[in-house]
Amino acid sequence: MADAWWHAWWTWPLALFLVSFAIGVVAVLAGVGGGVLFVPIVGSVFPFHLDFVRGAGLAFALAGTLAAGPTLLRNRVASLRLALPLALSGSIASFAGALAGLALPTDVVQVALGATVVAIALLIWRAGDADAGTGETDALGAILRLRGRYEDPVEGVTIDWRTRRTLAGFAAFAGIGFFGGVFGLGAGFANVPALNLLMAAPLKVAVGTSGLIISVVNSSAAWVYIHRGALLPALAVPAILGVMLGSRLGARLLTRTPAVVVRRLVIGVMLLAGARALARGLGVWP
Amino acid sequence: MTREDLIQQTYARWLDAATRAAFAASLAAFAAYASGLAPSFVPLDALPRLWQLPLEQYLAQTGAPEGWGWLQLAGFSDYLNLACIALIGAVTPLCYLAVLPLLLRLGERLQAALVAAQIAVLLTAASGVLAGSH
Repeated sequence: MADAWWHAWWTWPLALFLVSFAIGVVAVLAGVGGGVLFVPIVGSVFPFHLDFVRGAGLAFALAGTLAAGPTLLRNRVASLRLALPLALSGSIASFAGALAGLALPTDVVQVALGATVVAIALLIWRAGDADAGTGETDALGAILRLRGRYEDPVEGVTIDWRTRRTLAGFAAFAGIGFFGGVFGLGAGFANVPALNLLMAAPLKVAVGTSGLIISVVNSSAAWVYIHRGALLPALAVPAILGVMLGSRLGARLLTRTPAVVVRRLVIGVMLLAGARALARGLGVWP
Repeated sequence: MTREDLIQQTYARWLDAATRAAFAASLAAFAAYASGLAPSFVPLDALPRLWQLPLEQYLAQTGAPEGWGWLQLAGFSDYLNLACIALIGAVTPLCYLAVLPLLLRLGERLQAALVAAQIAVLLTAASGVLAGSH
Protein backbone atom coordinates (compact mmCIF):
# COMPACT_ATOMS: atom_id res chain seq x y z
CA MET A 1 0.00 0.00 0.00
CA ALA A 2 2.74 2.46 1.06
CA ASP A 3 4.77 1.41 -1.97
CA ALA A 4 1.82 2.19 -4.27
CA TRP A 5 1.51 5.68 -2.75
CA TRP A 6 5.24 6.26 -3.18
CA HIS A 7 5.08 5.45 -6.89
CA ALA A 8 1.78 7.24 -7.62
CA TRP A 9 2.25 10.33 -9.82
CA TRP A 10 0.38 12.60 -7.39
CA THR A 11 2.57 11.87 -4.33
CA TRP A 12 5.27 14.40 -5.28
CA PRO A 13 2.88 17.17 -6.39
CA LEU A 14 1.02 16.77 -3.07
CA ALA A 15 4.30 17.04 -1.12
CA LEU A 16 5.19 20.05 -3.28
CA PHE A 17 1.92 21.76 -2.30
CA LEU A 18 2.74 21.38 1.42
CA VAL A 19 6.34 22.58 1.05
CA SER A 20 5.15 25.55 -1.06
CA PHE A 21 2.65 26.55 1.63
CA ALA A 22 5.38 26.62 4.30
CA ILE A 23 7.85 28.56 2.11
CA GLY A 24 5.03 30.98 1.18
CA VAL A 25 4.57 32.04 4.82
CA VAL A 26 8.30 32.62 5.38
CA ALA A 27 8.89 34.34 2.01
CA VAL A 28 6.41 37.17 2.68
CA LEU A 29 7.85 37.79 6.14
CA ALA A 30 11.34 37.98 4.63
CA GLY A 31 10.29 40.16 1.66
CA VAL A 32 11.50 37.69 -0.96
CA GLY A 33 9.61 36.02 -3.79
CA GLY A 34 10.53 32.64 -2.34
CA GLY A 35 12.11 31.31 -5.52
CA VAL A 36 15.46 31.65 -3.81
CA LEU A 37 14.25 29.15 -1.16
CA PHE A 38 12.00 27.06 -3.42
CA VAL A 39 14.56 26.28 -6.14
CA PRO A 40 17.36 24.96 -3.86
CA ILE A 41 14.98 23.03 -1.56
CA VAL A 42 12.80 21.46 -4.26
CA GLY A 43 15.77 21.01 -6.61
CA SER A 44 17.68 18.97 -4.05
CA VAL A 45 14.85 16.98 -2.37
CA PHE A 46 12.34 16.31 -5.16
CA PRO A 47 12.96 14.12 -8.26
CA PHE A 48 12.15 16.89 -10.78
CA HIS A 49 14.73 18.15 -13.28
CA LEU A 50 16.10 21.59 -12.43
CA ASP A 51 14.71 23.05 -15.68
CA PHE A 52 11.17 22.44 -14.42
CA VAL A 53 12.01 23.40 -10.83
CA ARG A 54 13.21 26.80 -12.09
CA GLY A 55 9.99 27.27 -14.08
CA ALA A 56 7.85 26.24 -11.11
CA GLY A 57 10.00 28.44 -8.85
CA LEU A 58 9.29 31.47 -10.98
CA ALA A 59 5.55 30.75 -11.08
CA PHE A 60 5.73 30.15 -7.31
CA ALA A 61 7.41 33.52 -6.64
CA LEU A 62 4.98 35.33 -8.93
CA ALA A 63 1.87 33.75 -7.40
CA GLY A 64 3.07 34.31 -3.83
CA THR A 65 3.82 37.98 -4.31
CA LEU A 66 0.54 38.54 -6.20
CA ALA A 67 -1.47 36.86 -3.42
CA ALA A 68 0.23 38.87 -0.67
CA GLY A 69 -0.08 42.16 -2.60
CA PRO A 70 -3.65 43.25 -1.69
CA THR A 71 -3.11 42.85 2.07
CA LEU A 72 0.28 44.60 1.93
CA LEU A 73 -1.16 47.51 -0.09
CA ARG A 74 -4.24 47.92 2.12
CA ASN A 75 -2.08 47.95 5.27
CA ARG A 76 0.28 50.46 3.58
CA VAL A 77 3.17 48.07 4.17
CA ALA A 78 3.74 48.16 0.39
CA SER A 79 3.88 51.46 -1.50
CA LEU A 80 2.66 51.37 -5.10
CA ARG A 81 4.12 54.83 -5.77
CA LEU A 82 7.54 53.61 -4.65
CA ALA A 83 7.24 50.33 -6.57
CA LEU A 84 6.28 51.86 -9.96
CA PRO A 85 9.61 53.43 -11.03
CA LEU A 86 11.78 50.76 -9.36
CA ALA A 87 9.85 47.86 -10.94
CA LEU A 88 10.12 49.52 -14.37
CA SER A 89 13.86 49.97 -13.93
CA GLY A 90 14.20 46.37 -12.69
CA SER A 91 12.08 44.72 -15.37
CA ILE A 92 13.86 46.43 -18.29
CA ALA A 93 17.25 45.49 -16.83
CA SER A 94 16.11 41.91 -16.19
CA PHE A 95 15.50 41.48 -19.94
CA ALA A 96 19.08 42.56 -20.62
CA GLY A 97 20.26 40.31 -17.78
CA ALA A 98 18.42 37.28 -19.19
CA LEU A 99 20.15 37.78 -22.54
CA ALA A 100 23.57 38.37 -20.94
CA GLY A 101 23.10 35.33 -18.70
CA LEU A 102 23.29 33.07 -21.74
CA ALA A 103 26.80 34.36 -22.55
CA LEU A 104 28.41 34.53 -19.07
CA PRO A 105 30.20 31.63 -17.29
CA THR A 106 27.57 30.69 -14.69
CA ASP A 107 29.90 29.42 -11.96
CA VAL A 108 31.86 32.70 -11.84
CA VAL A 109 28.71 34.80 -11.55
CA GLN A 110 27.22 32.36 -9.00
CA VAL A 111 30.26 32.87 -6.74
CA ALA A 112 30.01 36.65 -7.18
CA LEU A 113 26.27 36.53 -6.39
CA GLY A 114 26.78 34.39 -3.28
CA ALA A 115 29.61 36.57 -1.95
CA THR A 116 27.60 39.75 -2.55
CA VAL A 117 24.45 38.44 -0.87
CA VAL A 118 26.35 37.16 2.19
CA ALA A 119 28.18 40.51 2.42
CA ILE A 120 24.87 42.45 2.28
CA ALA A 121 23.36 40.18 4.97
CA LEU A 122 26.33 40.85 7.25
CA LEU A 123 26.06 44.58 6.51
CA ILE A 124 22.39 44.64 7.60
CA TRP A 125 23.25 42.60 10.67
CA ARG A 126 25.86 45.14 11.76
CA ALA A 127 24.27 48.36 10.50
CA GLY A 128 20.73 48.11 11.88
CA ASP A 129 17.76 49.88 10.24
CA ALA A 130 18.33 53.04 8.27
CA ASP A 131 17.04 56.10 10.11
CA ALA A 132 13.77 56.09 8.19
CA GLY A 133 11.60 59.18 8.17
CA THR A 134 14.28 61.66 9.17
CA GLY A 135 16.17 63.95 6.85
CA GLU A 136 15.08 65.56 3.61
CA THR A 137 14.24 63.75 0.44
CA ASP A 138 16.31 64.40 -2.70
CA ALA A 139 15.09 66.27 -5.79
CA LEU A 140 14.09 63.17 -7.79
CA GLY A 141 12.30 61.65 -4.81
CA ALA A 142 10.40 64.93 -4.38
CA ILE A 143 9.38 65.04 -8.08
CA LEU A 144 8.11 61.44 -7.92
CA ARG A 145 6.62 62.06 -4.46
CA LEU A 146 8.20 58.91 -3.06
CA ARG A 147 6.91 59.24 0.46
CA GLY A 148 4.19 57.77 2.63
CA ARG A 149 2.80 57.15 6.07
CA TYR A 150 2.94 53.75 7.73
CA GLU A 151 1.27 52.85 11.04
CA ASP A 152 3.01 49.99 12.83
CA PRO A 153 0.48 48.34 15.18
CA VAL A 154 3.17 46.21 16.85
CA GLU A 155 5.54 49.07 17.69
CA GLY A 156 2.61 51.48 18.24
CA VAL A 157 4.15 54.20 16.08
CA THR A 158 3.27 56.09 12.90
CA ILE A 159 6.17 56.62 10.54
CA ASP A 160 6.14 59.38 7.91
CA TRP A 161 8.78 58.19 5.50
CA ARG A 162 10.42 59.59 2.39
CA THR A 163 13.14 58.19 0.18
CA ARG A 164 16.69 59.45 -0.16
CA ARG A 165 19.35 58.72 -2.78
CA THR A 166 16.58 58.02 -5.31
CA LEU A 167 18.79 58.03 -8.39
CA ALA A 168 21.19 55.60 -6.72
CA GLY A 169 18.11 53.51 -5.86
CA PHE A 170 17.10 53.36 -9.54
CA ALA A 171 20.64 52.30 -10.45
CA ALA A 172 20.57 49.65 -7.70
CA PHE A 173 17.27 48.22 -8.97
CA ALA A 174 18.59 48.19 -12.52
CA GLY A 175 21.63 46.28 -11.24
CA ILE A 176 19.45 43.91 -9.18
CA GLY A 177 17.12 43.40 -12.16
CA PHE A 178 20.08 42.64 -14.41
CA PHE A 179 21.53 40.19 -11.89
CA GLY A 180 18.09 38.63 -11.30
CA GLY A 181 17.62 38.27 -15.05
CA VAL A 182 20.93 36.42 -15.33
CA PHE A 183 19.79 33.86 -12.73
CA GLY A 184 16.02 33.88 -13.24
CA LEU A 185 15.38 35.08 -9.68
CA GLY A 186 13.22 37.88 -8.29
CA ALA A 187 16.21 38.85 -6.11
CA GLY A 188 14.05 40.04 -3.21
CA PHE A 189 17.01 39.42 -0.90
CA ALA A 190 18.70 42.38 -2.64
CA ASN A 191 15.55 44.53 -2.98
CA VAL A 192 15.05 44.84 0.76
CA PRO A 193 18.50 46.26 1.61
CA ALA A 194 18.36 48.56 -1.45
CA LEU A 195 15.04 49.99 -0.24
CA ASN A 196 15.94 50.06 3.45
CA LEU A 197 19.66 50.85 3.66
CA LEU A 198 20.11 52.84 0.46
CA MET A 199 16.76 54.60 0.00
CA ALA A 200 15.86 54.81 3.72
CA ALA A 201 12.40 53.23 3.46
CA PRO A 202 11.34 51.68 6.82
CA LEU A 203 12.20 47.96 6.99
CA LYS A 204 8.58 46.74 6.86
CA VAL A 205 7.76 49.09 3.94
CA ALA A 206 10.92 47.80 2.24
CA VAL A 207 9.79 44.19 2.78
CA GLY A 208 6.24 44.85 1.53
CA THR A 209 7.28 46.94 -1.48
CA SER A 210 9.92 44.38 -2.41
CA GLY A 211 7.15 41.79 -2.83
CA LEU A 212 5.18 44.15 -5.06
CA ILE A 213 8.24 44.83 -7.23
CA ILE A 214 8.93 41.09 -7.60
CA SER A 215 5.32 40.55 -8.76
CA VAL A 216 5.90 43.02 -11.61
CA VAL A 217 9.39 41.89 -12.61
CA ASN A 218 8.47 38.18 -12.49
CA SER A 219 5.35 38.74 -14.62
CA SER A 220 7.70 39.48 -17.52
CA ALA A 221 9.94 36.49 -16.84
CA ALA A 222 7.00 34.07 -16.45
CA TRP A 223 6.10 34.53 -20.11
CA VAL A 224 9.62 33.47 -21.16
CA TYR A 225 9.14 30.14 -19.33
CA ILE A 226 5.62 29.67 -20.73
CA HIS A 227 6.79 30.25 -24.30
CA ARG A 228 9.76 27.88 -23.82
CA GLY A 229 7.57 25.03 -22.55
CA ALA A 230 9.41 24.97 -19.20
CA LEU A 231 6.29 25.13 -17.02
CA LEU A 232 4.91 21.70 -16.12
CA PRO A 233 1.35 22.12 -14.73
CA ALA A 234 1.75 19.05 -12.48
CA LEU A 235 4.54 20.92 -10.64
CA ALA A 236 3.68 24.56 -11.17
CA VAL A 237 0.00 24.45 -10.13
CA PRO A 238 0.50 22.71 -6.72
CA ALA A 239 3.35 25.17 -6.06
CA ILE A 240 1.13 28.12 -7.03
CA LEU A 241 -1.84 26.94 -4.94
CA GLY A 242 0.39 26.22 -1.93
CA VAL A 243 2.19 29.55 -2.00
CA MET A 244 -1.01 31.55 -2.61
CA LEU A 245 -2.49 30.17 0.60
CA GLY A 246 0.79 30.42 2.53
CA SER A 247 1.59 33.98 1.49
CA ARG A 248 -1.87 35.25 2.41
CA LEU A 249 -1.17 33.96 5.92
CA GLY A 250 2.34 35.49 5.80
CA ALA A 251 0.97 38.90 4.74
CA ARG A 252 -1.42 38.90 7.73
CA LEU A 253 1.45 37.93 10.06
CA LEU A 254 3.74 40.69 8.71
CA THR A 255 1.88 43.59 10.36
CA ARG A 256 1.74 41.66 13.65
CA THR A 257 5.33 40.47 13.62
CA PRO A 258 7.93 42.56 15.50
CA ALA A 259 10.47 44.29 13.20
CA VAL A 260 13.33 42.45 14.94
CA VAL A 261 11.86 39.08 13.90
CA VAL A 262 11.44 40.33 10.31
CA ARG A 263 15.07 41.52 10.38
CA ARG A 264 16.31 38.10 11.56
CA LEU A 265 14.29 36.36 8.87
CA VAL A 266 15.69 38.68 6.20
CA ILE A 267 19.26 38.05 7.37
CA GLY A 268 18.63 34.29 7.67
CA VAL A 269 17.14 34.05 4.18
CA MET A 270 19.99 36.08 2.70
CA LEU A 271 22.68 33.96 4.38
CA LEU A 272 20.93 30.78 3.17
CA ALA A 273 20.58 32.12 -0.38
CA GLY A 274 24.16 33.42 -0.44
CA ALA A 275 25.60 30.15 0.89
CA ARG A 276 23.57 28.21 -1.69
CA ALA A 277 24.80 30.41 -4.58
CA LEU A 278 28.41 30.13 -3.33
CA ALA A 279 28.12 26.35 -3.03
CA ARG A 280 26.73 26.06 -6.56
CA GLY A 281 29.37 28.38 -7.99
CA LEU A 282 32.20 26.44 -6.33
CA GLY A 283 30.67 23.12 -7.40
CA VAL A 284 30.21 21.96 -3.78
CA TRP A 285 26.40 21.63 -4.16
CA PRO A 286 25.57 21.71 -7.87
CA MET B 1 -9.61 58.95 1.45
CA THR B 2 -6.43 60.64 0.22
CA ARG B 3 -5.39 60.58 -3.44
CA GLU B 4 -2.57 58.21 -2.44
CA ASP B 5 -4.99 55.82 -0.77
CA LEU B 6 -7.40 55.95 -3.72
CA ILE B 7 -4.70 54.86 -6.20
CA GLN B 8 -3.30 52.23 -3.86
CA GLN B 9 -6.72 50.83 -2.90
CA THR B 10 -7.83 50.67 -6.56
CA TYR B 11 -4.73 48.68 -7.45
CA ALA B 12 -5.25 46.43 -4.40
CA ARG B 13 -8.91 45.80 -5.33
CA TRP B 14 -8.07 44.78 -8.90
CA LEU B 15 -5.10 42.72 -7.72
CA ASP B 16 -7.24 40.90 -5.19
CA ALA B 17 -10.07 40.14 -7.65
CA ALA B 18 -7.74 39.08 -10.48
CA THR B 19 -5.59 36.91 -8.21
CA ARG B 20 -8.65 35.22 -6.70
CA ALA B 21 -10.10 34.58 -10.16
CA ALA B 22 -6.79 33.12 -11.39
CA PHE B 23 -6.54 31.04 -8.18
CA ALA B 24 -10.10 29.67 -8.62
CA ALA B 25 -9.52 28.91 -12.31
CA SER B 26 -6.21 27.14 -11.48
CA LEU B 27 -7.87 25.09 -8.73
CA ALA B 28 -10.79 24.00 -10.98
CA ALA B 29 -8.52 23.23 -13.94
CA PHE B 30 -6.11 21.25 -11.75
CA ALA B 31 -9.01 19.26 -10.22
CA ALA B 32 -10.14 18.29 -13.74
CA TYR B 33 -6.54 17.43 -14.68
CA ALA B 34 -5.54 15.46 -11.58
CA SER B 35 -8.83 13.54 -11.37
CA GLY B 36 -8.57 12.49 -15.01
CA LEU B 37 -11.99 14.02 -15.79
CA ALA B 38 -10.56 15.67 -18.89
CA PRO B 39 -7.93 14.09 -21.18
CA SER B 40 -4.35 15.32 -20.88
CA PHE B 41 -1.83 15.74 -23.71
CA VAL B 42 0.92 14.06 -21.65
CA PRO B 43 -0.44 11.00 -19.75
CA LEU B 44 -0.39 11.48 -15.98
CA ASP B 45 1.20 8.07 -15.36
CA ALA B 46 4.14 8.99 -17.60
CA LEU B 47 4.98 12.11 -15.59
CA PRO B 48 7.27 10.53 -12.93
CA ARG B 49 9.57 9.38 -15.77
CA LEU B 50 9.27 12.58 -17.85
CA TRP B 51 9.73 15.24 -15.15
CA GLN B 52 13.24 13.93 -14.47
CA LEU B 53 14.34 14.79 -18.02
CA PRO B 54 16.01 18.03 -19.14
CA LEU B 55 13.61 20.38 -20.95
CA GLU B 56 14.89 19.63 -24.45
CA GLN B 57 14.49 15.86 -23.98
CA TYR B 58 11.05 16.35 -22.45
CA LEU B 59 9.93 18.43 -25.44
CA ALA B 60 11.37 15.89 -27.88
CA GLN B 61 9.73 12.87 -26.17
CA THR B 62 6.31 14.44 -25.65
CA GLY B 63 6.07 16.61 -28.76
CA ALA B 64 5.07 19.51 -26.50
CA PRO B 65 5.02 22.85 -28.38
CA GLU B 66 7.01 26.06 -27.80
CA GLY B 67 5.95 29.67 -28.31
CA TRP B 68 2.19 30.23 -28.56
CA GLY B 69 1.63 26.64 -29.80
CA TRP B 70 0.30 25.64 -26.37
CA LEU B 71 -2.83 27.72 -26.96
CA GLN B 72 -3.99 25.30 -29.68
CA LEU B 73 -3.82 22.46 -27.11
CA ALA B 74 -5.99 24.22 -24.50
CA GLY B 75 -8.61 21.49 -24.98
CA PHE B 76 -6.29 19.11 -23.10
CA SER B 77 -6.43 19.45 -19.32
CA ASP B 78 -2.66 19.96 -18.87
CA TYR B 79 -2.62 22.83 -21.35
CA LEU B 80 -5.81 24.25 -19.83
CA ASN B 81 -3.76 24.44 -16.63
CA LEU B 82 -0.98 26.21 -18.51
CA ALA B 83 -3.57 28.73 -19.73
CA CYS B 84 -4.48 29.36 -16.08
CA ILE B 85 -0.81 29.97 -15.29
CA ALA B 86 -0.77 32.43 -18.20
CA LEU B 87 -3.76 34.14 -16.53
CA ILE B 88 -1.59 34.60 -13.44
CA GLY B 89 1.08 36.17 -15.69
CA ALA B 90 -1.57 38.59 -16.97
CA VAL B 91 -2.70 39.81 -13.52
CA THR B 92 -0.08 42.58 -13.21
CA PRO B 93 -0.66 44.17 -16.66
CA LEU B 94 -4.41 44.06 -15.95
CA CYS B 95 -3.92 45.93 -12.65
CA TYR B 96 -1.66 48.50 -14.34
CA LEU B 97 -4.34 49.03 -17.02
CA ALA B 98 -6.94 49.50 -14.26
CA VAL B 99 -5.05 52.31 -12.48
CA LEU B 100 -3.90 54.13 -15.64
CA PRO B 101 -7.19 56.04 -16.27
CA LEU B 102 -7.38 56.93 -12.57
CA LEU B 103 -3.85 58.38 -12.61
CA LEU B 104 -4.68 60.45 -15.71
CA ARG B 105 -7.92 61.70 -14.13
CA LEU B 106 -6.02 62.77 -10.99
CA GLY B 107 -3.41 64.60 -13.07
CA GLU B 108 -0.61 62.21 -12.05
CA ARG B 109 1.02 62.41 -15.48
CA LEU B 110 4.47 61.25 -14.41
CA GLN B 111 3.08 58.16 -12.63
CA ALA B 112 0.78 57.50 -15.61
CA ALA B 113 3.80 57.59 -17.95
CA LEU B 114 5.62 55.08 -15.72
CA VAL B 115 2.57 52.79 -15.74
CA ALA B 116 2.20 53.05 -19.55
CA ALA B 117 5.90 52.23 -20.02
CA GLN B 118 5.58 49.20 -17.70
CA ILE B 119 2.53 47.95 -19.62
CA ALA B 120 4.58 48.18 -22.84
CA VAL B 121 7.40 46.15 -21.24
CA LEU B 122 4.96 43.48 -19.97
CA LEU B 123 3.16 43.22 -23.33
CA THR B 124 6.51 42.84 -25.10
CA ALA B 125 7.36 39.99 -22.72
CA ALA B 126 3.96 38.33 -23.25
CA SER B 127 4.30 38.57 -27.03
CA GLY B 128 7.20 36.10 -26.89
CA VAL B 129 9.42 38.29 -29.09
CA LEU B 130 12.25 38.18 -26.56
CA ALA B 131 11.64 34.66 -25.26
CA GLY B 132 13.73 32.88 -27.86
CA SER B 133 13.58 29.11 -28.14
CA HIS B 134 15.72 26.02 -27.89
